[in-house]
Amino acid sequence: MNLLFGKRRIGGLLAIVPANERSFVDEMANFNFPESRSLKLKSVMGYDKRRIVEGAVCSSDLVCFGMQHLFDSGKLGRDDFDALIVVTQTPDYLIPPTSNVIQGRLGLKRDLFCLDINQGCAGFLIGLFQAFFLLDQPSIERVALVNVDVMSRKTSPRDRNSYPLIGDAASIAMVERAEDATPIHANLKTDGSRREALMIPAGGLRCPCSRETAILESDGENNFRSKDNLYMDGTAVFNFVQMDVPPMIRDLLATAQSDFGSVDYFLFHQPNRFMLEKLAEQMNIPLDKMPSNVVEHYGNSSGVTIPMAIVHNLRKQLLSGPIRACLAAFGVGLTWASMLMGIGPLDYCDLIEFS
Amino acid sequence: MQKEKFYREIADILEVDDLTDTDILANYATWDSLSILSAVAMIGSRYRVNLTARDLRSVATAGELYDLVAAHCYS
Repeated sequence: MNLLFGKRRIGGLLAIVPANERSFVDEMANFNFPESRSLKLKSVMGYDKRRIVEGAVCSSDLVCFGMQHLFDSGKLGRDDFDALIVVTQTPDYLIPPTSNVIQGRLGLKRDLFCLDINQGCAGFLIGLFQAFFLLDQPSIERVALVNVDVMSRKTSPRDRNSYPLIGDAASIAMVERAEDATPIHANLKTDGSRREALMIPAGGLRCPCSRETAILESDGENNFRSKDNLYMDGTAVFNFVQMDVPPMIRDLLATAQSDFGSVDYFLFHQPNRFMLEKLAEQMNIPLDKMPSNVVEHYGNSSGVTIPMAIVHNLRKQLLSGPIRACLAAFGVGLTWASMLMGIGPLDYCDLIEFS
Repeated sequence: MQKEKFYREIADILEVDDLTDTDILANYATWDSLSILSAVAMIGSRYRVNLTARDLRSVATAGELYDLVAAHCYS
């Protein structure tokens, strides 16, 4: 599906990561694999440092901390936004929505459109689309788009398939109308028939959490996880991304009557360095135009990785002037989406630590 | 596709010097999920054949792996 938006911009961007840093080398002993193979995995995938929460920290904790920072630093007034979208796969509760939790904890105004979206890796783009839709309403001047996940809490420390790459993080993007903005082209695809490639099998109503779902089981390859844990079919996801993402990007550029050379940066979801380098190779995108270093510094925080790629790599450029960016995200659902838009100059583009 | 070249590429992934038709992949300690993903990626980009981890685990020997890729290559 192709989407087209006009007169929209991202005004400011804040990312929040836990202060607690873990190192892949320190954690290798958790896995039943020879050290040499784990080191090989580290070099191929780009596993190194990552940030995860300590203890029972919830999504709303990271977000309230970030919002309070914006209020205290004068970057945002408490009443300066009329909608709050929270994209998360790790809500504080099944009921009520995390957006309502945040509104209540921060004492935000009642004239606030609160909305939770259950989306993962494609969550920054899905959230932006929804923010753009909401801005069609005259009474909605600005939308706070929040992406947040504390997926480390749902990942088995003995699962080398997922644990070493998961990071926790949140981001707050302020989305607003802009009369002079260039048209924003986007596209989106969904394939729920492959929904089991990335899932947490237990915890919903189909398979409620129980003593049985908490039992760690071997996957036959020395990884141990329970049905309460995140499951990721690594090669299925790899094949999906390599097959479906390049045609989507080519379609996007063709629809926008644009080409690869006209794009300053390809800001893609950051699953691991290997997958991004293979994507770049397929589309002949120079690696200096496609950041792939989020996983090695912070871990993969699903919907937050594009904001992380921006604040980590492009802060200076985006504070001073605009870039033409091609955003792409792909994962849970399966869902994949891309967007061509101008970003910047931003009012702020910061990374803070939660502790 | 050239069998010798294909074996060199798989041998690189397994971190061994060479491979022959009858070598059993599972006998190599390095034939793990990382090698299988690397092989899936290599076969996809070099030979334009999309295989899954399950496909690769379903074959026993290097020769059978070659036959599997060659069958997709020429089909």
